[in-house]
Amino acid sequence: MHELDEQLRELIPRLRRFAVSLTRNTSSADDLVQSTLERAIIRWADKRLEGDLRAWLFSILYRQFLDAHRRSRRYARMLEFFTGRDDAQPSVERTVMAQSTLQAFDQLNTEQRALLLWVSVEGLSYKEVAEILDVPIGTVMSRLSRARQALRQLSDGEIASPSLRILK
Amino acid sequence: MISLPPSERDLHAYVDHQLLESDRRVLETYLAAHPDVAAQVQAWQQDAQLLRASLSGALQQPANPELDPALIRQRIRHQSRRHLATAAVLLIAVSLGGIGGWHAREVTQPPMLPMADAMQAFRLFAQDGILPADYNTQGSGNMQAWLDRYFNQAHRLPDLSASGFTPVSGRLLTTESGAAAMVMYENREGHKISFYIRPPGPENNFLPRGSRSADGLQAEYWSGAGYNYAMVSPNDEPTARLIKQTIKF
Repeated sequence: MHELDEQLRELIPRLRRFAVSLTRNTSSADDLVQSTLERAIIRWADKRLEGDLRAWLFSILYRQFLDAHRRSRRYARMLEFFTGRDDAQPSVERTVMAQSTLQAFDQLNTEQRALLLWVSVEGLSYKEVAEILDVPIGTVMSRLSRARQALRQLSDGEIASPSLRILK
Repeated sequence: MISLPPSERDLHAYVDHQLLESDRRVLETYLAAHPDVAAQVQAWQQDAQLLRASLSGALQQPANPELDPALIRQRIRHQSRRHLATAAVLLIAVSLGGIGGWHAREVTQPPMLPMADAMQAFRLFAQDGILPADYNTQGSGNMQAWLDRYFNQAHRLPDLSASGFTPVSGRLLTTESGAAAMVMYENREGHKISFYIRPPGPENNFLPRGSRSADGLQAEYWSGAGYNYAMVSPNDEPTARLIKQTIKF
């Protein structure tokens, strides 16, 4: 019935993957995707979409995540991660996380994870990322450079994880 | 055009396929001659590849039906209908107030027909059915508990169950005299009776027990425990008689 729905449906797996990489928890991730879709559907009416629908959705999702982060009490489930109460059950992403690159990725801060996923995995342009984060392209590039160095060093085991947690 | 030696940014742009084709070729020539820089770039490329590979599994999650856009769209529509309902309540508040005022001007003495708003509310909700209820007893709902949330120690809802009438829905309204609620009773045949409650207003207009009919409706009204009450029904039905009998406390 709605042409947007079809496009959204195709992008849901990517949104869920991004959400999992932010929340590290499947059910919180789906909550996040759901509220992202809601917002997208509501906003679609007054949006003249220039550019990539995917980048627009990523940006909504990322904001929602940061907002939820701030309004922590209302998102108890999403917050399990921040309070250190971890998912006991092995889930898809947990199993995959066993690989060392992912282990390293998992230790990066939120923005670095988002940056690497957008650029290295999803192939968004620097310009699109700059728009999502609302910063100049140069800033994107230097943050990306830092994220990549951090990932490299973590993969090599050069930096112990606790010191890196403080980065942001 | 990039300059050589390349900046770190150019190297990243190369890894991310974001260099112009001409720049890319220049850089590749440079890398071929500088194995240390090439090794660095290669490590980044490898990290990116590993990341892509290990995250590709996350795309294969079983679908979650809760995330279907059509379902979400439907949910949003329900929500906005609720907002609309709230807006309608405000609208009704205005029209009840308006009618009251209009009565007050036309009928100079007495200033206002008692509980005209209760009858007006019955017309709007029971007869025109213009607004979804704020509260339904479907399931395990308790109408008295719902009412007690808004009215403190008021008279209990009359028990009409012996006559086959049970409370089915509740609506909140605002009137000139303050917040009001109307509880709708229905029997198996779909006949309706309403119970209406509101504060007496700033002038404490408590009412002697009484009844009146207007435009095919019958209202019984009284006061007690700090509130005014009315029970309204169509007056050509035996329900009117039923109310009279019920409200003899």
